[in-house]
Amino acid sequence: MQTRGEVPIIPTAGLTVIEPAPGGAARAIVVLMQRVAARDRQAFSALYAATSAKLYGIILRISRRRDVADELLQEVYVQIWERAGYYDANKGSPITWMVTIARNRALDEVRRKQAVSIEDAPEALDVASDEEIPLDRVERSQQLLRLRQCLDRLDSHRREAVLLAYREGMSREALGQRFARPPGTIKSWLRRSLLQLRDCLGQ
Amino acid sequence: MTERDEIDVIAGEYVLGTLDAAERAAASARRRNDPKLDAAIEAWERRLAPLAETVPPVAAAEGLRAKIEALTAVDAGPDAARIVVLERRAQRWRGVAIATSALAACLMLAIGVRELYLPQTAKTFVAVFQKDDASPAFLLTVDLDARMVSVRPVAAQPQAGKSYQLWIASDKIGPAPKSLGLIEASDASTQHTLGRWDRGIVERATFGISLEPAGGSPTGRPTGPAFHAKLIETR
Repeated sequence: MQTRGEVPIIPTAGLTVIEPAPGGAARAIVVLMQRVAARDRQAFSALYAATSAKLYGIILRISRRRDVADELLQEVYVQIWERAGYYDANKGSPITWMVTIARNRALDEVRRKQAVSIEDAPEALDVASDEEIPLDRVERSQQLLRLRQCLDRLDSHRREAVLLAYREGMSREALGQRFARPPGTIKSWLRRSLLQLRDCLGQ
Repeated sequence: MTERDEIDVIAGEYVLGTLDAAERAAASARRRNDPKLDAAIEAWERRLAPLAETVPPVAAAEGLRAKIEALTAVDAGPDAARIVVLERRAQRWRGVAIATSALAACLMLAIGVRELYLPQTAKTFVAVFQKDDASPAFLLTVDLDARMVSVRPVAAQPQAGKSYQLWIASDKIGPAPKSLGLIEASDASTQHTLGRWDRGIVERATFGISLEPAGGSPTGRPTGPAFHAKLIETR
């Protein structure tokens, strides 16, 4: 198989971003995806090698516990294997599709747990929350640049709330505590931010 | 707010992840019958996806890869030795299935013939999935030695745009059912591995089959109508 089993990791000032540029790694992942859909186990192995650190990073950040993230990553890749044939290239890149599966699974897990016990001992986190990549230091993809421009138009608290929700999986309650605002206020922040972002970004 | 705003806000919060468990489940169920919400969710997934680039990758533990390989290591084609051995003693499912339809009777015959040719040494378990005579039926067999589960629709017409999905549930496995995979064919067995779990857990587990959107549950847990069964030992 010609496809390399990894995508280039580009270091930029102390942070790493998976290069999303079309043609190179992204194209390789599209090819891998097609082979995985055809039940090619070697391709699945390569896809895992190329994407697992990214998905694990996302899952770990939301679930905040390695044991939980380990379990979730397995389920996510089983789902990727089983559903690869239904991946629709017209609807987005394979990475976006995989990230969506990973985030959904992780969010389902943490929301379900919160429904049982709201406080899942944030002290017990084994992931440092201060290691996230500051938005202004990431400058790779066109789409990210555009999204960043639109995020920059939001008031700083609201922008931060959107980022904490997406990247850290923070609930409205957690955001409320973070910003010392009632959940109702957070809800209206999010509502306003979302509509503003939509209008700024378009489809 | 306009109706569109309303939908975009629900979809946006769904993708951000800020809906609580109940709202999330409601949105997830609604999108299956609401193309506008579904499209709005997909649009937000695309809009916000670039943020995923800003999350630092973390190497997953070494052992996970092998576990995933085992979980997905399904047959490279039907393996005769692994195909279900059904015992005559399994009268319960047989009665139910034969009553279901002529098709079921034909299948029983096919399985019955196959029994003659297979060594009956494996410890196998069988379960029947059927709510009532009008609903689809499945025969599920588990070969604990081969660690395979095999499921065969008996009178289950796949609906357009839907997939049947097989689940295993046990309090030993966790609070939520785990997917064993999709039931691909409407007229043949689909096999999936049980690699991850102990025999003791599998023997006492509850199996479920749910009707999901094509390609399986979008959430990783059952979302559609489901039926359940426990295993009956056949020898």
